[in-house]
Amino acid sequence: MWQQVEQSLHDSMWRVFNKVAQLLPGILAFLVALLIFLLIAWVAAVITRRILNAVAFDKRTMPTTNALSELAPRQTPTVLATRVVFWVFVIIGVLVGVSAFEAASAESGISAYVFAYLPHVIGAAVLLFLGTVIGRFLSRSVLITAVNLNLQYARLLATGVRWLIYVLTAAMVLDHLSIGGDIVPLAFGILFGGIVLALALAVGLGSRDLVSRSLEREAARPSEPPVEEKIHHF
Amino acid sequence: MKEEQIHENEQAAAPVTSRATVLLGVTGTVDSAIVQPCLQEIGPVLNARVIVAAPNLAEATENDVHFRSYPLTAGRPENLPWVNASFAQRAICSLAAEVQADVCVLLHGDLILLNADVLPLFIQPVLEKRCDVVLPVYAAGKFDGLLNHGILAPLARALFGQRVRYPLPLDFSCSAEMCAKFTAPHPAHDPNADEILWPATIAAVAGKQVCQVNVDASHGRQTDGIELRTALASLVGSAFIEMEKYASFWQRIRGSRATPVTGHAVKQASESDGIDVKPLIDSFLLGARNLQEIWGPVLPPVTLFELKRLSRAPLEEFRMPDELWVRILYDFALAHRLRSISRSHLLGALTPLYLGWVASYVQEAANLSPFAAEQRLEQLARAYEENKPYLLRRWRWPDRFNP
Repeated sequence: MWQQVEQSLHDSMWRVFNKVAQLLPGILAFLVALLIFLLIAWVAAVITRRILNAVAFDKRTMPTTNALSELAPRQTPTVLATRVVFWVFVIIGVLVGVSAFEAASAESGISAYVFAYLPHVIGAAVLLFLGTVIGRFLSRSVLITAVNLNLQYARLLATGVRWLIYVLTAAMVLDHLSIGGDIVPLAFGILFGGIVLALALAVGLGSRDLVSRSLEREAARPSEPPVEEKIHHF
Repeated sequence: MKEEQIHENEQAAAPVTSRATVLLGVTGTVDSAIVQPCLQEIGPVLNARVIVAAPNLAEATENDVHFRSYPLTAGRPENLPWVNASFAQRAICSLAAEVQADVCVLLHGDLILLNADVLPLFIQPVLEKRCDVVLPVYAAGKFDGLLNHGILAPLARALFGQRVRYPLPLDFSCSAEMCAKFTAPHPAHDPNADEILWPATIAAVAGKQVCQVNVDASHGRQTDGIELRTALASLVGSAFIEMEKYASFWQRIRGSRATPVTGHAVKQASESDGIDVKPLIDSFLLGARNLQEIWGPVLPPVTLFELKRLSRAPLEEFRMPDELWVRILYDFALAHRLRSISRSHLLGALTPLYLGWVASYVQEAANLSPFAAEQRLEQLARAYEENKPYLLRRWRWPDRFNP
């Protein structure tokens, strides 16, 4: 009996090694294709950057890209175009590599699956990029506005806004990638609804006295001119 | 103050012999009946053909005065007042070129400078070709126009080398040549931007003579109903854009020279009692606690350390050294140019620092006479000039020079 166990283990190991050996050429083909396209992508990006710098692309597109420079100051149109060129070549490299892997390993259906899934991945990457940029921008906007309005909880507010956008982005990305099924929107709905309800209850019930006291204080404040009126800025 | 004073009797020169054309452009709506009495009074002194222009005026000629309307298409009611004033000033300058005016006087809509005593002081120097641009020095108290005295005027002085008290005036006069320069678009001009007109800067860059006139008047507060951060972002942002536009010019300028001033200096007594600086310092402290992530990429470590030390100072000892304030401004100008962070964020993050400087200045100037307070501002202006090499080093080698 022990011999039979040993034989079956030996056979299964042999089958696994055999399978890996069959996949190795495909993996190698995938890596070679990816490396070649990475090199092409790098060269294409360098050429694109030089051409765009030579034609002063940033200056020419300045009036139309003000919004971009506000959202992401370091992302000039040239940097963005260069990155797009680079990643287009990398994606082509991945597709070519997957096809080569399929051809070398005789595994059918892989490239069809990857080709179908790729638009989702690109869409998710764009969502992630936009979500991160918008989250950071809005968080800083809220922080600065709150500080200029003399709100003591400015940082808390800004952090809240940042994480709200990050969570929303994460939910959208996962939904776009079809990961987690209905659980993600459901969980997000519960979480978001919960936060709003908690805030409503906190303000409505918990801070009722605080709000009324604050309003009373505001109404009872003497009509003395505030400090700003004695100082003229412009 | 070493400003050259031209005596009253000098500027009361004889009327110009040839009949020149003077365009009085008003940047707001105006009634011709209000303008007429003053014009009748100054008409004999000027001996000039006078054209009055305002957006809503009906074209007419009364008592040898021509009334013209000018189109004001670019201005929008939601714009800040100085942006709309700049649109109007450019439109008036275009009209001046059209009617071939020898002198163009631009007046604010409240017409406080439309009087027979003041107006010739703006017209004669240009007619006599002594000056190309005549700017007003408004009567102001110690705590008036702090944004101008703390940032705009000393920055313009250090950069462009001309000691001008109000580089962004609401009234001024200029020659026909300068009118053409004010309306000519700059190569780096963004047609979509609400560009503010800086007459003193353009005159300095063109190498033209700028003069100043002391006037016993001041406009009402222009920032009424406008949040400080909005006003600060608009004005300082515009100053930074001008700085970037004329970088090749101001990098060659060293020191500053006085501009001729006419008229008697008038100081308004200002109420210094009861100015509570605590809210201002609280705003600064709130910024110091929360805005490190914005200030961090903008300000060098030494400045951040100084600010931290300042934030721990007791209320009565709260003083922002001139050098610290000037370097903060220069670092913000550099970050604006490099777009280290979003420009709207950058200018928003300047407000608590500005309020910190205001608190420091108010505490220092509270017990000073108007003259001493002016000397204090002169000291600040000199600090801007003395720290210009710091700006130059950082502007030229932003990555290499970071103290």
